[in-house]
Amino acid sequence: MIITCISQMGWAQNCYIPYKGYDGENKNEISAYVMGGTNVVTDGFGGLEASYTRHITPRWHVGGDAQMQFGKELFSVDVQGGYRLPIKYGNIDFSAKVMYNFYHKFGFHEMAYNISATWESAYVDLRLGETLVHYHSHVWGIGWGYTETPLLTFGFGANIRHRNNPWNLGLFFRNYDDFYYENWNINWGIRWYAKVKEQWRLFGEFNIRPAGSISQLASKYEGSVKIGLKYKW
Amino acid sequence: MAATAMLNTSCEKVSPQGVLMAGTAVEDRVKMSQLFYKDYLQQSSNNIIVNPYDSKLHGYSFLVGSDSHVTTDPGRMDEMFAIGLENNDLLYCHLGDIADTKPEYYITLDKSIQYAKSNYVQKYYEPNELGRYVRKGDIYDDYGILYEDIKFPFFPVVGNHDLTHNGWALWSNLFHSSFYEFDVICGYDEEGNQICDHFIFLDTASGTLGKLQVDLIEQGVLDGEDYYRYTFIFGHTNIFLPQNMQFASTFPREEAYFLLKQFDKWNASIVFCGHVHKWDEQIFNMVHFVTLDSMSERNSPEAGDYLVRVTVNEDGKLDIEKVHMNYVAKSNSDSDSNS
Repeated sequence: MIITCISQMGWAQNCYIPYKGYDGENKNEISAYVMGGTNVVTDGFGGLEASYTRHITPRWHVGGDAQMQFGKELFSVDVQGGYRLPIKYGNIDFSAKVMYNFYHKFGFHEMAYNISATWESAYVDLRLGETLVHYHSHVWGIGWGYTETPLLTFGFGANIRHRNNPWNLGLFFRNYDDFYYENWNINWGIRWYAKVKEQWRLFGEFNIRPAGSISQLASKYEGSVKIGLKYKW
Repeated sequence: MAATAMLNTSCEKVSPQGVLMAGTAVEDRVKMSQLFYKDYLQQSSNNIIVNPYDSKLHGYSFLVGSDSHVTTDPGRMDEMFAIGLENNDLLYCHLGDIADTKPEYYITLDKSIQYAKSNYVQKYYEPNELGRYVRKGDIYDDYGILYEDIKFPFFPVVGNHDLTHNGWALWSNLFHSSFYEFDVICGYDEEGNQICDHFIFLDTASGTLGKLQVDLIEQGVLDGEDYYRYTFIFGHTNIFLPQNMQFASTFPREEAYFLLKQFDKWNASIVFCGHVHKWDEQIFNMVHFVTLDSMSERNSPEAGDYLVRVTVNEDGKLDIEKVHMNYVAKSNSDSDSNS
């Protein structure tokens, strides 16, 4: 059985049906979600996201994503690609992603480069990778840039039901989201999906994003909700 | 690997509850600090005057240390104060994680501060016949002030390890406010304008400023006067990650960019941070960022350059230098160096 990736990131971006095998027939997937939440710095925010994935072969895929977040005044685009390696217990999905963020409210431009390997099984998924982030601003008539030390990227997810089920519910912990990568600021939350029709899926998540690592007694920083729809053809 | 790394960060101060419960303690700290600071300002100014008896002497220096994690041995804290006193530094700043959070460790810390204050008073004050203290060189003040009213110029910010095990109760009992600012008034220029530098202290111990602190900053609570020669900012959590310290948290994206923009708005000269126990220097948006190594004898057991001194020279030129610490803990380090 050929199974597509089920990483949390892949929910909205490079998978057709979360937790259900890629059938090897459809070539295209499109999804969109709306989001809303509150953030310490920007107060309430809302936004729209859209994704497209093209399965070049049953193993290879490429795609792109874009979002606008009002309140934060954040605009993002990315392109990504990946290769799925079936193994005895699930898949390992190797992926690469290049992302651009414009934090208009603060005048910062950000580029992120990520490579990851995601192990996907029936109930559990685990992602490990590295991310390089560069940002710059422009003050005093001069552009200032800074490249962060490479960040460990990690994510863990677990579901209450086998991934083949038409609906599912799970938990996740990770230090990234669709359009940002952090260090030890570990966000966590609840994710779900439900089959609407054969080619349609509803999905969503509730995400708590604390500031600070465990040893900083992480404090409330952001809470958000996403609800989206995915379609294949 | 990630799980192993997480476990490796564990110590008795780690609290998984922090991640799971997402507490809002920073809001309470800032609220308490702000109320205290407002009351304090109504009673007396926090400003410091450089060379009050000769306004033509504008130069001064201050000393900065970080992450002392005091337990039973106050040797490095004692040494920091001794170095500052010997060099006639105007004030001492600490970037948080000042003591590990047990009551007895705060007793150790308080003894160190009181010991330093007694040396400070001995150097800069003399008792009069009323049993009060008069600043040496002050020919106008015969009456003097009480010993307990002499302000020892030590200005800390709170760090994440100051918060565990109800540490805020201990920390605030000694230092009261984690969010404040003051001016250093350096005299007057040739045109009679006051020369003033600005010192801002932020509560970044939780890796976020919190909503209230962000609001207060945006309202301009810390902005002070219209014009400053230099602005120095002190906080615990680092903005930039030193290259080889990957497993340490910094601010979330939006907050880092908010702060960098705010530092630019404040026209900051130097921003001091600690937290990662690793020296780092960056210049971004014309602001000099200095991240200090830990001065704790447990984290940095060998003698080394763990302090930073900033000197504002008579001509207004700014110098920054590392300051060497010689204290090395004894093998059986329960001794109290005050004794």
